[in-house]
Amino acid sequence: MAQAVALDLDPIEARPQLIAGEQSFNAITEAVALPVEWKPPLGWWIALALSSSLLGLFGISIAYLFWEGTGIWGLNNPIFWAFDITNFVFWVGIGHAGTLISAILFLFRQKWRTSINRAAEAMTIFAVMCALSFPGIHVGRPWLPYYMFPIPNQMGMWPQFRSPLIWDFFAVSIYGTVSLLFWYVGLIPDLATIRDRAKTRVRQLAYGFFALGWRGSNRHWQNYERAYLILAGLATPLVLSVHSVVSFDFATAQLPGWHTTIFPPYFVAGAIFSGFAMVMTLMLICRVVFGLRHIIQPLHLDRMAKIMLLTGTIVGYAYGTEFFIAWYGQNDYELFAFVNRATGPYAWAYWTMVGCNVLSPQVFWFKKARTCIPLLFVISIFINIGMWFERFVIITTSLHRDFLPSSWDYFRPTFWDLSTFVGSFGLFLTMFCLFVRFLPMVAMAEVKAILPIANPHHHAPAKTH
Amino acid sequence: MSAHGVTRRLAQADVSIPSTSSWSKLPLIGGGLAAAGAAGSAAFGLADHGQLFFSYLVAFLFFVSIAIGGLFFVLVNHLSRAGWGVVVRRLAENLMGTLPLFLLLFVPIAFGLHDLYHWAHHEAVAGDPVLAGKAVYLNPTFFLIRGFAFLVLWSAAGLWFLRTSVAQDSSGEPCLTRRMQMASAPMTLLFAVTVTLAAFDWIMSLEPHWFSTVFGVYFFSGCVVAVYATMILLVLALDRSRLLGNAVSIEHVHDLGKMLFAFVAFWAYIAFSQFMLIWYANLPEETIWYSQRWDNSWRGISIFLAVGHFIVPFFFLLSRAIKRNRTLLACGAAWMLFIHLVDVHWLVMPTHHREGFHFSLMDPAAILFVGGLFLVVLGLGLKKQALVPLKDPRLSESLAFENF
Repeated sequence: MAQAVALDLDPIEARPQLIAGEQSFNAITEAVALPVEWKPPLGWWIALALSSSLLGLFGISIAYLFWEGTGIWGLNNPIFWAFDITNFVFWVGIGHAGTLISAILFLFRQKWRTSINRAAEAMTIFAVMCALSFPGIHVGRPWLPYYMFPIPNQMGMWPQFRSPLIWDFFAVSIYGTVSLLFWYVGLIPDLATIRDRAKTRVRQLAYGFFALGWRGSNRHWQNYERAYLILAGLATPLVLSVHSVVSFDFATAQLPGWHTTIFPPYFVAGAIFSGFAMVMTLMLICRVVFGLRHIIQPLHLDRMAKIMLLTGTIVGYAYGTEFFIAWYGQNDYELFAFVNRATGPYAWAYWTMVGCNVLSPQVFWFKKARTCIPLLFVISIFINIGMWFERFVIITTSLHRDFLPSSWDYFRPTFWDLSTFVGSFGLFLTMFCLFVRFLPMVAMAEVKAILPIANPHHHAPAKTH
Repeated sequence: MSAHGVTRRLAQADVSIPSTSSWSKLPLIGGGLAAAGAAGSAAFGLADHGQLFFSYLVAFLFFVSIAIGGLFFVLVNHLSRAGWGVVVRRLAENLMGTLPLFLLLFVPIAFGLHDLYHWAHHEAVAGDPVLAGKAVYLNPTFFLIRGFAFLVLWSAAGLWFLRTSVAQDSSGEPCLTRRMQMASAPMTLLFAVTVTLAAFDWIMSLEPHWFSTVFGVYFFSGCVVAVYATMILLVLALDRSRLLGNAVSIEHVHDLGKMLFAFVAFWAYIAFSQFMLIWYANLPEETIWYSQRWDNSWRGISIFLAVGHFIVPFFFLLSRAIKRNRTLLACGAAWMLFIHLVDVHWLVMPTHHREGFHFSLMDPAAILFVGGLFLVVLGLGLKKQALVPLKDPRLSESLAFENF
């Protein structure tokens, strides 16, 4: 075994133990199962009460929207899209970190992901729920969204398949479905653990139902591992495709500021960036509140901060490239759109975006900053704000001064714009509160598999070619 | 294989090219090819120097993209503290060690500016407000300064990483690894900016009115495809000659195959995004670049590229069995290298042959010339030091690596 441990030790930085504390399977189970089995503390009830109040606000905002129409928002003639679509793109983006952690980091053999992947995947699903609500409500006519579905009907009416908006609907739905499957498959062994520990009949039945009869046999594990690998392979292109298709909503148009070929990879990087910021915010709270500091260690935060630095800098690269090409292309309209962003009426939003997204993560060049928890928390909030503003800047500043100066206008959000946006956090946080109460928020089985005692004890591998 | 490889050490002699090996004649062979290429270019090129320079630019870009890709491989391995790739890293280091050669090979492009780049003509710029507007950036002096600056930066970085890594072969100092890791992060940032601008300068400005913000990423994805394909071929060939002392197993080859597969898909993603967005918006100032590659016999090459650079290799490389079969993976890698050449040709040549696809004998001659010199420098590099970083602190981890 000494040899097997040596395999995991980095000779330079002594590849650190990913989990601190007692290195036993039981200790992990006890730590993770605690928040699912305890009588929730007052703090959880307060969090749930606040979140569900916001959810109520979301409901009221949507009800009033349906009653009154989109006139309750601050939309005007050139700006037909503002907060609604900004919120949609913001929430879809948030989801991306979950899939990146669970699929891409899995394929890259990044074992540290096991401490955070479950919560990140849950976050993905809740974020997609928030996101999908906006295309559903943004026309303010709840009897129309069924047109997004290709339903055969007697009128012979179909969605416009050449419109990127319908691609988007498919892309996000597929993404939601695959993320849910991926999350659920990963949950099965852990649900079985909770079932086996259940002390009441109701819990036994409820967790037993969703554990699908998992007994942890060798064959179960083999099938599970294979399913996980296949789902990771399927989810990886989805990480790229979903936000690329979201970017097509804008980039296929001819509008300066929207139409640019770097949008797909730029949106994907931004999505992962914002998603990691959200994971960081939530995990910093959860690791303290639920006593998971030995599972979500500073080294996990350090690596997440590195990814935030990388993706934030990619986003900065995209801002720079867009600006350069807007000049290089010598197209007056294109250049105007960008100069207007930086110096026009929305300059405050533009520089908020640049400051939060490009400048603030630059502190993560330093290891001290990457392991300083208060700083991580502050910067992750900055990034959340900055990434929301990025979408607002792209959508609104490109629209508000179009080709006809006579129709230029300025968008001011109304109370209902803000309440719908803040309310969507209610949906997200309520779901997250329920998640941490009823489901194991760390992938126990996977964390156990990276403990030193789980290291494979070597025997000669089968001969291949 | 590597079951108990943790304690295994590599001896320098096991992973070096002996003077008896035919690999030690690589510089000689390269020199011969370069001489033949030079003779061929001279024979055909004196009559048509336009074609000569365009063929030369294709060859230059093809080989420099492999060297740039080598730099990327090394940077990413240090940046991610990767363990598995240590045993193949020296080959990437040798590929990027050829970068200084391209400083020299950039000189002919300076002489060919007039033939290659429309914006290098004063009278054309004077009569064209768009070109006049960007003349601050696109002018011969600044273009050459930038080009040489990029190549100096890449060469300096490449040589520094190569030397530091080789120094570790004798000293075994872990602090050298730490130093390379430290340097890799800011260098990656510089790499991204310079490769983007180089792609804009060297390729995109061939059509000086045309622009695409993702073009730098497109060129970068081609570089990465090229380097993984080259690495696979190098590893398999050196291993066949028993020069890697069993350091490299099928597990490492499999991983290189996975990365090749991933970047085949990434290339297609970028290429499709660029094409689809331009096609959909249908703005004449952008579609002109694709119509130049579609409304004449270039269409065949465009279709061939889509099929040969994505559809076929995607399904071929998808299979685990193929990635773990040396012969089949070598075929896949060789194909990707060829199709990457087609890609570079397709990027450059339609500017010169507007009427349609045209094959010139100067194309293979230029490839022989630049490729021959590339092999000279590569061969000298491979001969000079061990083919595996002998005392890298993560070597044992890499030797023991297995795909589960």
